[in-house]
Amino acid sequence: MKIWSTEHAFSYPWETVIKAAMRKYPNPMNPNVVGVDVLDRSLDSEGRLHSHRLLSTEWGLPGIVRAILGTNHTQTYVKELSIVDPSQKKMELCSSNITLTNLISVDERLVYRPHPQNPEVTVLTQEAIITVKGVSLGSYLEGMMVRSMSANARKGWDAIEWIIQNSERERSSL
Amino acid sequence: MNSVGEACTDLKRDYDQCFNRWFAEKFLKGDRSGDPCTETFRKYQLCVQKAIKEKDIPVDGVEFMGPNKDKPES
Repeated sequence: MKIWSTEHAFSYPWETVIKAAMRKYPNPMNPNVVGVDVLDRSLDSEGRLHSHRLLSTEWGLPGIVRAILGTNHTQTYVKELSIVDPSQKKMELCSSNITLTNLISVDERLVYRPHPQNPEVTVLTQEAIITVKGVSLGSYLEGMMVRSMSANARKGWDAIEWIIQNSERERSSL
Repeated sequence: MNSVGEACTDLKRDYDQCFNRWFAEKFLKGDRSGDPCTETFRKYQLCVQKAIKEKDIPVDGVEFMGPNKDKPES
């Protein structure tokens, strides 16, 4: 099992970042995410918005890799739960793969909050627990996954920035 | 962005537009007035749930990792 965590600051206020986070896909940095669906959405008694989403990802795995993994599916699926608290200004996302779970678990948690000293800045803390199962090189593969997560996190931050800048461009051209 | 069910993409788009507007203009501004998207959501959901069953996507029975939880094997 490997644990990975990181922190990133966006130079935008919390509401701007959250609006982008809710509309993150599609974006050019995450071309593997090919489908997003909302399975459930509700407000709780404290006015927080809960959303359950299903993400479909396509990695273009060649047939032989799929045969080794023992899967006929070309797409892998991720379940995501998010809670947006507009009065506390906190958005929390938890995601987990729901396919290939006999081989690997990637559980991620993201929290977006305003910077405690600067309301024009939003801080994202991100952590993941990665477990590769039943494979003798498990620990080595977990290490590779952690390095891959750091690269992917950077793409994720770029994706949020891209969504924000695209929305600003749309607004200024109206 | 597409839906997991190809036939649901238009319904999804309608719902997303309604939701994004409500989210930015009402919800984040503390406006607690009713959700205008329930009808579009209902139509969209009927389509998505059917697609999930057809594609055999295992959306149920997976608990999120919490401090005391372990994910079941599948």
